[in-house]
Amino acid sequence: MENTSTSALANEPLLRIEGVSKIYDGHIKAVDQITLNVASGEIFALLGGSGCGKSTLLRMLAGFETPSQGRIYLGGTDITDLAAYQRPINMMFQSYALFPHLSVSDNIAFGLRRDGMAKEAIAERVEAMLKLVQLSQYTKRKPHQLSGGQQQRVALARSIAKQPKLLLLDEPLGALDKKLRVSTQIELVNIIKEVGVTCVLVTHDQEEAMTMATRMAVMSAGSFLQVGSPKDIYQQPNSRQVADFIGSVNIFDGLVKQSPANSAQAQCIDVECADALLRVPSNQACHVDMAVGVAIRPEKMLLSHKKPSAKINHVGGVITEMTYFGAHTNYHVKLASGKVLQVQVQSHVDEDNADLSWGDQVYASWGDNAMVLLTQ
Amino acid sequence: MASLMQTLKNSIPSWLTGRRLVIGLPYAWFLILAFLPVLIVLKISLSEMQSTAVSGMVSWQGAWPSIKLDVSSYLFLASDELYLATYLSSISYAFYTTVICLGLGYPFAYFMARAPKQWQALLVMLIMLPFWTSFLLRIYAWKTLLVNNGLINNALLAIGWIDSPIEILNTPFSLLIGMVYSYLPFMILPLYANLSKLDARYLEAAADLGCHPFKTFWLITVPLSKAGIVAGCMLVFIPAVGEYVIPELLGGPNTLMIGRVLWDEFFSNNDWPMAGAVTIVMLLLIMLPLAIYNKLQSEGRA
Repeated sequence: MENTSTSALANEPLLRIEGVSKIYDGHIKAVDQITLNVASGEIFALLGGSGCGKSTLLRMLAGFETPSQGRIYLGGTDITDLAAYQRPINMMFQSYALFPHLSVSDNIAFGLRRDGMAKEAIAERVEAMLKLVQLSQYTKRKPHQLSGGQQQRVALARSIAKQPKLLLLDEPLGALDKKLRVSTQIELVNIIKEVGVTCVLVTHDQEEAMTMATRMAVMSAGSFLQVGSPKDIYQQPNSRQVADFIGSVNIFDGLVKQSPANSAQAQCIDVECADALLRVPSNQACHVDMAVGVAIRPEKMLLSHKKPSAKINHVGGVITEMTYFGAHTNYHVKLASGKVLQVQVQSHVDEDNADLSWGDQVYASWGDNAMVLLTQ
Repeated sequence: MASLMQTLKNSIPSWLTGRRLVIGLPYAWFLILAFLPVLIVLKISLSEMQSTAVSGMVSWQGAWPSIKLDVSSYLFLASDELYLATYLSSISYAFYTTVICLGLGYPFAYFMARAPKQWQALLVMLIMLPFWTSFLLRIYAWKTLLVNNGLINNALLAIGWIDSPIEILNTPFSLLIGMVYSYLPFMILPLYANLSKLDARYLEAAADLGCHPFKTFWLITVPLSKAGIVAGCMLVFIPAVGEYVIPELLGGPNTLMIGRVLWDEFFSNNDWPMAGAVTIVMLLLIMLPLAIYNKLQSEGRA
């Protein structure tokens, strides 16, 4: 048994997931050896495509699924064997699961009544919750009489009414249309922060994860590919899959050349690609002739008619496509190897070289730090 | 050819559009096969019996038609307490049948709906299996099971639970057995149809909010299956009130059911107006509460 001193208790994260797996039919690993700590006050996002295991992991936290292996601790207490109705965890369901036969206020009061709270206290809390989500005038309505956005707010109010230690959000904005989603994201985060509840949310929408989460995990095939802040994951993806999943990206395939022992930079790796020689700042362990990828985000590239003076870190090609988006313009540049490069140029930058057009021979260049070496 | 089509088209009245036809057909069906027969029964109940047929209602005195309504059947119905007692007893038997069917059928339907998907079709088949055998045959079969030297009594004697055969057949108890047995599928099927559509996420949401599974059943499952409960209860209660065959075969001479009174009025007493009156009153007794319930329901929803 571990010896819990006071300092260990203070460092105990709110949620501790230890080697949790979910195995179906003896061999299908929906969730594979997940270990994760979530600190109090965090909004943690599980991001991944369908079937990556993110929902199964969330359902294990809620208590709807039992882990095949591993333990789950909440505030230092092992909750792995507690039934869903015994856990101080509440969930906002995908498409809400509001009780259709109960009014808005009865939906919100449902969990409070189960706790045997006094009637006046329940009424007070329900009122406070309705005020928080700005639905005070809809108390008597049934869920089907509300719009999608209003239902979403009732669902949120219901899930935080019991002041859970941990709030779970399953695709919280999945049922809303695109325009409503953006405004609701901000509103949702504001309410969560106001209440101060720790949050684990599941989403397949990378924008949603990036805007809402303080920290996130990219999941695939039941495992975490990368865990970090949205910025870290965007700027420093650790694998092709992550780079590809989060935003758009250009990946150059190449082989590691002999290490540049006499380079000015302390840690650089030369990668020989079909279209260029790239010198990538990286301290990853590589050996000569290792197949690697170099990721560069489209918005970190510059386009110009003029060939850069340096011999490395640029490519030449022909503009095959350009799409004007107002704030920025997307270009497709076809390289000699046949690879099509995506370049995004901000409009204010673009004004300097407004003469870029279809069929032009151009050069794309970028700063050293725009490149990320991907060894897997 | 074109002119022929045109002639055909012109011969169809202009008001007879496809839309009206589609809406009109079910109404016509209802009018001809449900409403009209009730009107005929109503007419018979207000006529006078003349040897083998009922009297005409309209007679002509010169140019003036005179309508003769004979309400004597209704007056007799109201004056004889036996009819009232029979109505009450019919309704109470139907009520108990419905309650027992609901009590047995609900868990049945619940576990059917929760069974693995590949079993459900088979279970529905099993529920409907008795319908492949004649209804009369099945009730006769119960007779042989329930008589004093029948299977049930013999089995109870053999294991020593009773010393002498107990009287089951021709009691209210045997009547209820037959009624519940016959009507149970009509309770289970609508309940199953309803419960199998129940979204499991509501149950999860209840659990998530700290609700014990038992309580979830009463607070979520039952209210959400109300439509199925109402449908099942109607499908059992309405035909059970007018049931004739089961009380005749299993109920013995002392169980009062309105279906048997009807039979007696028609075929023993040959009193068609009386039988008509009994039918109309029964119809009102069943329809009025349902109409009121429906009205309350639709008002509650608005």
